[in-house]
Amino acid sequence: MTTLDTRPITPPVTDNYLTFRRGFLSWAFTLDHKRIGVMYLVAVLSSFFVGGVMALLVRTKLLFPGEVSWMSNEEYNKAFTLHGAVMVFLVIIPSVPAALGNFVLPIMLGAKDVAFPRLNLFSFYLWVLGAICAVYSLLAGGFDTGWTFYTPYSSQSEAGGIIPVLIGVFILGFSSIFTGLNFIVTIHKLRPPGMTWFRMPLFLWAVYATAIIQVLATPVLGITVALLVVERAFQIGIFDASMGGDPVLFQHFFWFYSHPAVYIMVLPGMGIISEIIAVHSHRHIFGFRFIAFSSIAIAIFSFLVWGHHMFTSGQSPLMNVLFSAITFSVAIPSAVKVFNWLATLYKGSISLNTTMFYGLSFLFLFTIGGLTGIPLAVISTDIHLHDTYFVVAHFHYVMMGSALIAMIGGLHHWWPKMTGVMFSEFWGKIACAMVFVGFNLCFFTQFMLGSQGMPRRYYLYQPEFKMYHHISTGGSYIMGLGFLITAIYLIHSLFAGKKAPANPWGGASLEWQCSSPPPHDNFATTPRVGDCYDFSAVHWDESTQGYVVDAEAHIAAAHSGKGH
Amino acid sequence: MKNPVTPFDDPKARFAAGLFGMWLLLIMLGVLFVSAILGYVAVRIDNGAEFIPANAPPLPLLLLLSTALLMVSSFTMQRALVAGRAGEASQGRWMVATLGLALGFLLTQWLAWRVLVGQQIGPSDNLYAWTFFVLTALHGAHVVGGLVPLAITTAHARRLEYTPSNYRGVAYCAMYWHFLGGAWLVLYATLWIGSRH
Ligand code: HEM
Ligand SMILES: [Cu+2]
Repeated sequence: MTTLDTRPITPPVTDNYLTFRRGFLSWAFTLDHKRIGVMYLVAVLSSFFVGGVMALLVRTKLLFPGEVSWMSNEEYNKAFTLHGAVMVFLVIIPSVPAALGNFVLPIMLGAKDVAFPRLNLFSFYLWVLGAICAVYSLLAGGFDTGWTFYTPYSSQSEAGGIIPVLIGVFILGFSSIFTGLNFIVTIHKLRPPGMTWFRMPLFLWAVYATAIIQVLATPVLGITVALLVVERAFQIGIFDASMGGDPVLFQHFFWFYSHPAVYIMVLPGMGIISEIIAVHSHRHIFGFRFIAFSSIAIAIFSFLVWGHHMFTSGQSPLMNVLFSAITFSVAIPSAVKVFNWLATLYKGSISLNTTMFYGLSFLFLFTIGGLTGIPLAVISTDIHLHDTYFVVAHFHYVMMGSALIAMIGGLHHWWPKMTGVMFSEFWGKIACAMVFVGFNLCFFTQFMLGSQGMPRRYYLYQPEFKMYHHISTGGSYIMGLGFLITAIYLIHSLFAGKKAPANPWGGASLEWQCSSPPPHDNFATTPRVGDCYDFSAVHWDESTQGYVVDAEAHIAAAHSGKGH
Repeated sequence: MKNPVTPFDDPKARFAAGLFGMWLLLIMLGVLFVSAILGYVAVRIDNGAEFIPANAPPLPLLLLLSTALLMVSSFTMQRALVAGRAGEASQGRWMVATLGLALGFLLTQWLAWRVLVGQQIGPSDNLYAWTFFVLTALHGAHVVGGLVPLAITTAHARRLEYTPSNYRGVAYCAMYWHFLGGAWLVLYATLWIGSRH
């Protein structure tokens, strides 16, 4: 009789990446992708806190339809601008790729690190430098142009912090570019033997598609803000209509980056959802190739639709029609993903844990966010909805409800791996439910506000909008509390959490086959890989209170084509 | 704190990854230059002949000289690469020549700016001049930035450190340098066409 070989690929280790070396310098100069990921995570979550406080201030101001004593109208403009800029450039864009991606990507590949570890650390310090510029811009008088920096506001506004923040955005852009570049090379050159493109986890497909956008689109943002800085400094430039320049040109440049950028935000989130749905419903992901190729399709389409932000900016009618038509087609690959996730859930044995709560929240919120993009892509309805709260609601459903929720879901999914401890499922579910309910109260009402004509970015409103604004603000408080609870139980788990097994959820990709937390060099030898969504060789193990992957059976199944 | 972990065991694989990374970097910079040039083309076309003020002088002839210097520096850079790849002693000389030509290019660009300013055309006078100064400055900044790797590579080459088994540094440097040459040709051609009525 043969006994099942259930030994994990790496033998149990006493040393892990957290204890490998100690002291401040061992972190500040680390080249370990895991530590860099953790530093990004701390940085991104701190920025999320700052951006969140700004959001709550804005929502609190909107409890009152008129002027308030504690926040001037200029301060209101600065508060929502800071909120938007922080959330976009410091939080969502780096959140999944730079923080979680850095941590998991090499481990998922069975590699020891990303292709260019020094460049990786350099990207992180660029992020820090960009953040310092943003903080400095506040000391220099803040900025009030909206996160979109449209000219002529940005070239003429009297706020003193515009040039520093633009420099900050420029630097953050390069941080993002170098991360993307690093990941593309890593995925091409460091896949282990046996991991073909179609054996690669869907998270990596998504990160790969994202990285292409990061490398190809971000330089356009870089040059745009650079030209804007020069324009503001010299009071002359190509975006200045009085000198023969063209402010609409700025919008073209800005959206040529920023539309693809919305996919920099959401694609990695979608990748996380593919992992969460498969692992926590213990079922082979449905339609692997469809999900994989739809990521690439989204990346390609995303370069062709920027004009849908400019239907009312005086674009030619022909351009409007073309951009509208192409925008509809983006919905197809997005829907392909949603249907495949639903099909995976169908008949799966779903573990309704906190992580899955986030996964299901994503499905619901992304569906609403995507569907409400359609009336915005229809030229006739967009003329009514453009620059109203409807747009605000739409993009919060996709950026916060989808990208950020996926990120928090991923944080829970990989938390035991990153920290070696388990968080409280009880509080996790409560907090997720609060975020979900609060989110919908906060933003669904904004669809109503917008379709009834409430413009975005106004501090004043008609009395008839009062009820909606109050519900929305109430929702934002519930959501804020939900996030606060999340922060508390996660931090608490660091000190008092149960020790995490190597594989708490039953995943079959490589990161679940090294210990929690992983050792400094991830794997002693390059591991062999099977089908990362084949859970037939994953068994519960009483003694470690975790799952184990029977490596031999797993790989054998992949070769015999079982599990497909 | 050195990282005891290197992602690549095989130096060949590491070189291949480096070359691939360089290609991505150059594609990224290409997008950056192309967008800047497209911005210029858009306002140039929008404004038609009015874009060029009546008193505007033609593009300084010095630019022909700087173009020539940059082209020759691409040639010497290539020779340095060939010498480095063969581990030959001339690698140091070719790198020194490249570095000198690069400085010469920057000097001529600077003189060309001075000529324009001397003719009372400064960057904030009109959009025609602004675009010229900004685009040449954009390219010039990349050349200035390139001086650092160029100087490091030169130092290595003078110590004859490039050998057939390891010439990564000079290879990456050459890629970047040829890119700057190509970018300048496109930029110069665009500016020249744009300067005609
Ligand atoms: C799935 C199909 C989608 C469609 C058809 C769509 C369509 C649109 C359209 C037409 C607009 C312009 C509305 C206006 O300004 O009048 C818009 C705005 C926006 N969308 Fe989407 N969208 C989709 C998905 C997404 C996703 C996935 C994200 C982000 C993750 C996103 C983020 C945004 C943002 C940030 C804005 C507004 C930016 C601003 O003006 O500040 N959208 N969307
Ligand atoms: Cu868009």
